[in-house]
Amino acid sequence: MSSLRFELHAASVLAPGLASLDDLREACRRGTPPEPTAPLILPAPAVLPANERRRASPVVRLTLACIEQALQSSPFKVETLRSVFATDEGTGEVCDQMLEVIATTRQVSPLVFPNTVQNAASGFFSIAWRNRQPATVASLGLESFASGLLCAVTDAVATGQPVLLVAYDPAMTGPMRELLPITDHTATAWILSAAPAFAHVPLLGSFVLDLEPQGTTPPSAMPPWLPAAWSGHSSARALAALGLLEAAEGSCFRMTLGGQLLSIRRVAEASS
Amino acid sequence: MTRTSARGVLATTVVHAAGHGTAALWDVVAKGGSGLRRNDLAWCDLPAWIGPVPGVDECALPATLQRWDSRNNRLAWLALQDAAFRRAVSEVMSRFGAHRVGLVLGTSTSGIRTSEVAYDKRRESGHWPADFEYRRTHAVESICRFSAEVLGLTGPMVTISTACSSSAKVFMTAQRWIGAGLIDAAVVGGVDSLCLSTLHGFHSLQLLSEDICRPFDAERNGISLGEAAGFALLDCAPAAVSLTGGGESSDAWHMSAPHPDGQGAQAAMRAALAAAGLTAADIGYVNAHGTGTIANDRAEAAALRTVFGEQRVAVSSTKGATGHTLGAAGIVEAIVTVRALMEQALPPSSNLRTPDATLALDIVTAPRVATLRHAMSNNFGFGGTNCALVFSRSD
Repeated sequence: MSSLRFELHAASVLAPGLASLDDLREACRRGTPPEPTAPLILPAPAVLPANERRRASPVVRLTLACIEQALQSSPFKVETLRSVFATDEGTGEVCDQMLEVIATTRQVSPLVFPNTVQNAASGFFSIAWRNRQPATVASLGLESFASGLLCAVTDAVATGQPVLLVAYDPAMTGPMRELLPITDHTATAWILSAAPAFAHVPLLGSFVLDLEPQGTTPPSAMPPWLPAAWSGHSSARALAALGLLEAAEGSCFRMTLGGQLLSIRRVAEASS
Repeated sequence: MTRTSARGVLATTVVHAAGHGTAALWDVVAKGGSGLRRNDLAWCDLPAWIGPVPGVDECALPATLQRWDSRNNRLAWLALQDAAFRRAVSEVMSRFGAHRVGLVLGTSTSGIRTSEVAYDKRRESGHWPADFEYRRTHAVESICRFSAEVLGLTGPMVTISTACSSSAKVFMTAQRWIGAGLIDAAVVGGVDSLCLSTLHGFHSLQLLSEDICRPFDAERNGISLGEAAGFALLDCAPAAVSLTGGGESSDAWHMSAPHPDGQGAQAAMRAALAAAGLTAADIGYVNAHGTGTIANDRAEAAALRTVFGEQRVAVSSTKGATGHTLGAAGIVEAIVTVRALMEQALPPSSNLRTPDATLALDIVTAPRVATLRHAMSNNFGFGGTNCALVFSRSD
């Protein structure tokens, strides 16, 4: 395949001990994980209508807060952003709540049921910012970020429009946590483009994606500056890839994707 | 919007309430028949009509695949027994290499029925069933991993999960991957299975009809849930029938109710026409999302009238035949649309008694012969997600 080039214009980070991209870059430079802190406090999203705000599930709070942070440095108007949401189990504790209710009373709440879809976060994103662009939800277990990144960049290539990519894992609760040991909320939102017209819009860095059959090169290890407990989070691969912003041109982060290896490589920015 | 290249639909396979195979699906929808029946599930006592796939309870996966056993993966397995489909997949794999064939599948609830049973057992015994594997049986990724294992595909893959537009949007993702040169062909599809979560969930919203679902009928009062697994093989080159365009949008309106004027649906249909390089007048048939709820059919009709004009395009919903198969609805209805183009015939809306005149649509009420060059399939879902696909004959 030919390499797929994209520009990263803005990125946010939301995880315990990492409240911004700056926090992540500092942890990367330091080489050690953030000090353990209290669990994330996820605010009720002020951007939603009042009735929806109160009912917003943790994953909706997590993703909307993360997106809001990314939008603060976005060079694009939010209503122009197409979006890809990448998540492993994207409903978080709502999934456990639903299964508990089904196993007991079967009295599913009509307010909860619409939140049990994997695209709850993307739906509320569109409602919150009146964004009518297409939104896609990509999922593939621990390879959810890799699959979502490929979807986001190929969307940007095909349409010439900027794309919001949100990679996230809501903390699991109840018995589900024994099946899917995600104990912290982790999320990152990227605003990227692939059109030559946007090459000179303010950006954080330029990258190319390459896809090759697995076998010759091993996938990258998770970096030591991220908590080891997050190795079971699909979105931690996205946090690790953001570390490329602190690395030299040519540096690469490799992830498995089905039978393939997807590499994201830092390249020189277009000369102005 | 630049016009997209035509991608040939080389083969299809589907299992559904009316039987196994694309021919069995066409047989029932072409006559306006139905595979639905009164709910007789041993594990659900809701008053409803359902569309279970024949043979799913008795289906045994081979010993080597036993760890993947879930109702969802059984449906996929049954669909993937179609010899002609498997031959077509083998042919593209030898033509391009297994790593150049992508896999893009949609699901809404995946294998959640397995976790429903496991939660029950855990409450009784205090521990998970010994053979319960969440990743292989319930997780959203399961259907992709299982299908890749069965087909021997090693290319890039992803599960798309956007409720009831999931397996329509798979065509868009595959189209973009082919366009970017990542793959030369793709297996696209979708699988969703009957489970308590959706039966009780739609019941809680008062959207699950106690009657058989009657899309576009004046007395329609809700959906009937079905289940299905469907797959299509897309080639980078055109074929006798091809995907020629698609459009997506978001309502930005409400999580579980459509925009009353179907604004998002309009945007998706217009984007699909633009991508196909067509105008509304070129479309000879629309397979509507047509769920059979009062609000959904009304909003979709408003969108169809705005894009096509009153009574200007033949419309039907085949959910009265298959039930609403949620994350599999996109692929099932794409397969019906492709078949309509091949057969030059329009499937009527099943279970229709009195077409709702206020919708001002040309609803197909009886089998109809047509000269059909281009047809559209619509799918919309919770979260305000919309997708319209255009398929075309090459001649």
